[in-house]
Amino acid sequence: MSASVIAQYVMNGAMLGMMYALVAVGFTLFFGVLDIIQFSHGDVVAAGAFAGLAAWTLLTAAGVAAPAVLLLAVVLSAIAVTALLGAVVARFIVLPVKGAPQLNVLLVTLMAGTVLRECLRLFYPGGSQPKLFPALLPTSGWDIGGFHLRFDNVILLVSGALLIAGTHLIITRSRLGLAIRAVAQDEETARTMGIDFRRVVLVTFALGSALAAFAGVIDGLYYNEVFFGMGLLLGVIGFAAAILGGLGNLYGAIVGGFLFAALQTIGAVALPFASAYKDVFAFGVVILLMAIRPTGLIGERASERV
Amino acid sequence: MEELRVENVFTAYDRADVLQDVSLTVERGTITCLLGSNGSGKTTLIRSILGLTPPRRGRILFGGRDLTGLQTHRIVAEGIACIPEGRKVFPRLTVVENLRLGAYLEEDARVIQQHLDRVFATFPRLAERRQQLAGTMSGGEQAMVSIGRGMMSAPKLLMVDEPSLGLSPLFVMENFAVIRRINQQGVTVFLVEQNVHQTLAIAHRGYVLSQGRVVAQGTASELLADEQVRAAYFGSGPPTGRPDGPRRNP
Repeated sequence: MSASVIAQYVMNGAMLGMMYALVAVGFTLFFGVLDIIQFSHGDVVAAGAFAGLAAWTLLTAAGVAAPAVLLLAVVLSAIAVTALLGAVVARFIVLPVKGAPQLNVLLVTLMAGTVLRECLRLFYPGGSQPKLFPALLPTSGWDIGGFHLRFDNVILLVSGALLIAGTHLIITRSRLGLAIRAVAQDEETARTMGIDFRRVVLVTFALGSALAAFAGVIDGLYYNEVFFGMGLLLGVIGFAAAILGGLGNLYGAIVGGFLFAALQTIGAVALPFASAYKDVFAFGVVILLMAIRPTGLIGERASERV
Repeated sequence: MEELRVENVFTAYDRADVLQDVSLTVERGTITCLLGSNGSGKTTLIRSILGLTPPRRGRILFGGRDLTGLQTHRIVAEGIACIPEGRKVFPRLTVVENLRLGAYLEEDARVIQQHLDRVFATFPRLAERRQQLAGTMSGGEQAMVSIGRGMMSAPKLLMVDEPSLGLSPLFVMENFAVIRRINQQGVTVFLVEQNVHQTLAIAHRGYVLSQGRVVAQGTASELLADEQVRAAYFGSGPPTGRPDGPRRNP
């Protein structure tokens, strides 16, 4: 295998890893503040991608052609819609069942995800079919040896990394982040510090969902296609990545996301018979790793849970 | 002038009333204590005042303002801070982060810094360990973090729940001295304790809680002289009336 082919695989893996990490960070944030699994998270991502697509469709119909304007509109509407959806899920689905067994929360969010997914299929024009997602980034690039490094991929990777770094700064440096970490560690004592618990939960859900919106947009821009069911696998993988890294741990989610993408890529390259088995291989290894490290790769003790 | 007034409060977990018709007042500038044995409802009263377990009936007034039914963060914003039972430091936050949370509602960075300096002056040990995770500290050091955190908002009323719990006698003495000093700086203190003698040594007035009811009240010296207090404290049987001594609730 030539170096250029390997580089192509690495690039592809990095792109997947960025998407998974962005989704996994959401799972880990939600678990941090409320100790719950928000299982509709993946479908919120899909809704974000469709919101971006809708913004593009409307603007192009209105005659806007400048790619920069369109891109900005796509990203902002995706973020706005998912942030709102995340907060709505928190406010009307998760918080009302707070105090109920965790299984119930898992069930109601799972159902909410199904409702959301079906809404995309039924109400988005032509939503039952895969939709073409516009290429809004320059597709030219550099040729390095035989490997073609595309601008759009670099832009997506760098902006994803910046978003994760920004989230990290918010969590570790800002007053909001301090409140989020306090609520994650001891909700009641946090409230006696004057922290508005409900507001922190809503903001956290909005933040985690907005990050995932970006994963949805990356997905759309990278594959030039979105699909109403895209959130299902993305959600399961994001969840697996968060668990793999150690649920509740921000760095763990990032590591888990990239690790899962690496496994998929290795599965696609190394399995001689068919790359169609890459998910089977990746999930199989995750199951194995969970058996060896039941609390995730980055243990609770050594880490600073958000 | 009264700072805190608890009026006929009933508080229940599920259905069983833990507090039954509790009334008391904390005068501004005093250390007022609430004595009682384990399970008498002391912590429940603190939780009721903070809105963590809102009263089923009755009212809680702070500086004349009715706090009943407000959410915890609004109650705290009125100027109440709590040093909770078991210290409850945030284990995976540093000492400084714990202290900053105490001043979460303060917007002015200079004021926060002043309060931080004051805490470090009171507990030089915390200044040395400002970047240490609170969960990795000893019980006595965690108590310093918890007390410091309570000082950070410069509250009008500081509620202290069992500061002596699980600490060595030396630390208990130090903590009581610090509480007295905080009070001398003008902060009203509501001190909840099992430790009768050390508590009454620094308190001005006190109440005795037994099985969710106030069974005795009076000045510290009155309570100290009262057999009733000992009976309630050790939980030996229902209170019996006595013609003299401190005034009792009917």
